[in-house]
Amino acid sequence: MSWATGTSLLVGGFLASAVRVGTPLLLAATGEMLTERAGVINLGVEGAMLGGALASALGAMSFGVWGGVILGMVAGMCIALVFGAFVVIAKVDQIICGTAITLGVVGLTGTAYRQTFGAAGPGLSIPTFASLPVPALHDLPVLGPALFTQPLLTYFAFLAIPVTWWMLFRTHWGLSVRATGESSEAARAAGIRTRGLQLFVTVIGGGFAGLAGATLVLAQVGTFAERMTAGRGFIAIAIVVLGRWHPVGVLIASLLFGVATALQFLFQALGLAVPYQLFLMLPYVLALVALAGAVGRVRAPAGLGK
Amino acid sequence: MRPRKGRRTTLLACLVLAAGGAAACGTKTDSGGFRVALITPGSITDAAWNSGAYAGLTEIKDSLHVSVSHMEARTPGEQEEGLRTYAAQGYDLVFGHGFEFQGAAERVGKEYPKTVFIITSGEKAIGNVAPLVFRLDEASYLAGMVAGGMTKTNKIGFVGGIELPPIKLAYEGWKKGAQAVNPRVESRLTYLNNFDDAAAGHEAALALIRVGVDMFHHNADAAGLGVFRAAKENPGVFIFGANADQTPLAPDRVLGSAIIDLPRAFLAVAREVRGGRFVSKVQSFGLKGGVVRYVPNSVLAAPIPAVLIQKVRAAADSIEAGTLIPVPREVANTAQNAPPSKDSATRAKPR
Repeated sequence: MSWATGTSLLVGGFLASAVRVGTPLLLAATGEMLTERAGVINLGVEGAMLGGALASALGAMSFGVWGGVILGMVAGMCIALVFGAFVVIAKVDQIICGTAITLGVVGLTGTAYRQTFGAAGPGLSIPTFASLPVPALHDLPVLGPALFTQPLLTYFAFLAIPVTWWMLFRTHWGLSVRATGESSEAARAAGIRTRGLQLFVTVIGGGFAGLAGATLVLAQVGTFAERMTAGRGFIAIAIVVLGRWHPVGVLIASLLFGVATALQFLFQALGLAVPYQLFLMLPYVLALVALAGAVGRVRAPAGLGK
Repeated sequence: MRPRKGRRTTLLACLVLAAGGAAACGTKTDSGGFRVALITPGSITDAAWNSGAYAGLTEIKDSLHVSVSHMEARTPGEQEEGLRTYAAQGYDLVFGHGFEFQGAAERVGKEYPKTVFIITSGEKAIGNVAPLVFRLDEASYLAGMVAGGMTKTNKIGFVGGIELPPIKLAYEGWKKGAQAVNPRVESRLTYLNNFDDAAAGHEAALALIRVGVDMFHHNADAAGLGVFRAAKENPGVFIFGANADQTPLAPDRVLGSAIIDLPRAFLAVAREVRGGRFVSKVQSFGLKGGVVRYVPNSVLAAPIPAVLIQKVRAAADSIEAGTLIPVPREVANTAQNAPPSKDSATRAKPR
């Protein structure tokens, strides 16, 4: 193997890794961005991801991968519905409720998992998505294996970006969502049924989070582990801020996190004589730097969290 | 509106606490008298370090017919609180399952002198607090020998959870074993800073595979499942299990496992404490006595050359005889611990 092919394989593998790491973050952040655009900040997204991960594992074992995808989404939606009911209808504090939902789901998934599998766990027997090469494009050097030989869920995550953009900024529905997020009183005065809309968007966001959890199980690890989301839901919330509540910004921010995380693993794998803690910090440092400087003025929807 | 809101929040909090607490419930059989508790730093469904401890607790319950309880505590605060809770309830023996419990047990131990605190992979014995030390590096040394002899790329990789002394030791053993049979071998090490994130374990392993690693070992509990997954996905990549026999996770890719027979060690300690024979000291378990073992996967034994197997056997004998020390403790463990007291060295290993 020549040096050039070796390098291009390494770079291709690195990019593929960045996309793989970025995909669940992108899905969760897309859902969270929608929710926040309607004025609801959902800290339960971590819980919805974890619930989606367990449900997708159970679904895939019983009904195959697509059963897993659907059950994962449904689980995420149900968890978001509980959150939405408390927050939108009962007007409970959003931060407290979101945190409670996440903590609750950590306990519930752990209990459900042990009830189902006992202490032994399911091993690695869950069916997973094979990578699906995009015709023609996957032959491209470097980029082909990185971007166009991914599992189906990855393409879905990327396609969701233009769709979300179009929905938010080019439809009447999107205008209603954004109006509700800026000032629900004004939106209600304009005849928008804000509560129903907020509840609906929150549930859609939960569906995205559930799908993000399903991606971890069905397209990456092939098993469930308790707390396996490991804070990705909270990173997704940071990504929404970093991406300035805009689909394209969210896409860039998710990929930035993916790149930083993949870089961190690559540096450790290369055995560089630098303390590994520096690498582990990398994704977070990048986010801080980006937040502080490059992105300019950040403005949240005026009615967020109210 | 206001008071209603407050009440709902409280209700919600209760609901969530109930759900969260459910994961930490233990099994209790009421037989009165002697009571044993276990606190694990992670989920007992990790098929490794924590599940082994839980199996040990179950073994104690079944063999000694005593009542037992288990709790999961991840943060230092929860861990100290867990130790204190069990001690306050009058438990006779409390296992803090991991190095991270040492400091907390020393503090709590002073307040509750009647309870015996056993810290697995702890570092020193003080009063009623005593560590069980497992020389897992002796088994991972043997795994490393097989890896060093079998690697085609001369690159071996290790995925660690958090950089704790016992995990560093296991890594050192693995590396030295490989270097002992193959001086050209290059060893790579990745830490995840986490024991749960299986997707991170997967990604870390794939990064190592890309730089040429074809032999893996891990010590990352549930996060290690991702490493097995990566090995399964890549032809020619093999892995060695840690803490428990992990062959079933990938029967065609696991060459062997470096295991700790936690149930055996736990039962021995519980017998001593119940029989009033417990002496506070560092109890160290290695290959000798069989608590720490290297377990090959017999299905994949065929491609391993007989010469290599001979070498591994010889090394195992030397380690048991004490003529080969894979990782001298003062090198690997830079912590402040004094050399083990004399009686720990001379006292016979419990059975």
